[in-house]
Amino acid sequence: MSFISIRNVFFSYDEVEEGKVVQNAVDGVSLDIESGEFVAVIGHNGCGKSTLAKHLNAMLLPDSGSVMIDGDDTSVEEKTFDIREKVGLVLQNPDNQLVAGIVEEDVAFGPENLGVEPAEIRRRVDKALKAVDMYEYRGHAPHKLSGGQKQRVAIAGILAIQPQCIVLDEPTAMLDPSGREEVISTLLKLNRERKLTVVLITHFMDEAVLADRVVVMDGGKILTQGTPQEVFSQVELLKAHRLDVPQSADLAYRLRGCGLKIDKIPLTQEECVAMLEEAMR
Amino acid sequence: MVRDVAFGQYFPGKSLVHRLDPRAKILMFIAYIVIIFCTFNYAALAITSAFTALFLILSEISPKFYFKSLKVIIFIVLFTSLLNLFYGSGDPIWQWWVFKITYNGIHRAVFVTVRIISLILASSCLTFTTSPTELTDAIERLMRPLKLIRFPVHEVAMMMSLALRFVPTLLEETDKIMQAQKARGADMESGNLFKRVKALIPVLIPLFVSAFRRAYDVATAMECRCYRGGAGRTRMKQIHMTRRDVISFIVLALVIGGVILCNIFVNWSI
Repeated sequence: MSFISIRNVFFSYDEVEEGKVVQNAVDGVSLDIESGEFVAVIGHNGCGKSTLAKHLNAMLLPDSGSVMIDGDDTSVEEKTFDIREKVGLVLQNPDNQLVAGIVEEDVAFGPENLGVEPAEIRRRVDKALKAVDMYEYRGHAPHKLSGGQKQRVAIAGILAIQPQCIVLDEPTAMLDPSGREEVISTLLKLNRERKLTVVLITHFMDEAVLADRVVVMDGGKILTQGTPQEVFSQVELLKAHRLDVPQSADLAYRLRGCGLKIDKIPLTQEECVAMLEEAMR
Repeated sequence: MVRDVAFGQYFPGKSLVHRLDPRAKILMFIAYIVIIFCTFNYAALAITSAFTALFLILSEISPKFYFKSLKVIIFIVLFTSLLNLFYGSGDPIWQWWVFKITYNGIHRAVFVTVRIISLILASSCLTFTTSPTELTDAIERLMRPLKLIRFPVHEVAMMMSLALRFVPTLLEETDKIMQAQKARGADMESGNLFKRVKALIPVLIPLFVSAFRRAYDVATAMECRCYRGGAGRTRMKQIHMTRRDVISFIVLALVIGGVILCNIFVNWSI
């Protein structure tokens, strides 16, 4: 069985009333995520991707269907904290996730809640801060850090709980380009070096390109999924649902429309340059 | 502008005062408040002032920040000292209309000024050198006996630590909202007091709305990090009383003893 297994989940924020059409935020989603995978979930605002993220650590429970984390059903109340120990959720606004006045004390908040021994908490906090390259800032006040730094501290706060999976709900939406770069490269490093399962909810296509698998959501449903190559080659489908494609994929798509013969849609800048060289010859 | 407020901030450091047990600091602070209001002559006042100065120096924090925290209360100091100046008893040495100045009034004004200033300096010294977490942790420990009467000790401590954590964030936000309203033509700097207070409403309403939204987010983030109240919770930083704390208690005891002796043996009091 997969690490995360979502089966036919429906969820609505509306009260269920007789004779009223209920708007489902998540509308029949089934998805499996394997241990060690880097999955990006994309879609525009209101497509249900954040709602889905909150299902992964039992912050929200499905109206129908089931979410299983490492064999545990999220709807079983006694398992809630076991699940939150396995799946950490990082939210969009870095300011609102930092609860202590000092970086290292904030990172310690999670393990403190779990009742970990003080010496072990210290060890975990140091390790987590080093993993996100924020160890030198351990004595700083959070409000004096940049957005990217705050978000990395928030990630460290989750890492200190030692989860097997980290879910990030648009962690870069409020950051500037350099902050975005810091956060994404940290995530890639954690995924490659520590085999941490990463579920990245985003609306930046350039971030999605770096994942092992891309899941596209629209209207609470999964529109399509596959490797970035497979997903972003379906330029028409994405455009029909008002979704962006990476710039280089868009360029290749347009050139193809002009009659240029392009076999493989490039996703990164380097691939794009190679493609153009190929085409010019 | 609002960001200039230094009161209630924490400056990380490794000075002697920083390393004192926060419980010791809080207890000493309480004892100190009592003692500065029990100084009735200049000798006693000199002893407590010397004690204040000692702690300020040992805290190794730039005097600039202490001045900043005093700046906020300068009007209160002026007001209360003027009030005391004109309401002393005894023979007037100067009189005009209902205002009369007596020697007693002058002494009273000096005492009240020094007391208020000492109070602010000491509380600044406490918050400058103690992180909010340490502070609330200490309060939680000191209030532990209240658990017996079902007082929610942990919850109150957690609320305080969150409130302290979000002071700078909310100040920053107030600044932003004020700028946004000014950009829309709001006038906050002219008019009489009543007008100025009224001009603050368009700042306060968005601030409140966003504070509630923020609170919701913070609660979610805390739940995501397995927060489930105080039961079974451990702390990374254990607080211990050490020799440092004992020595500072002894110094404080000497100060208290000195003040009491001065009050008994000095034949002059206000």
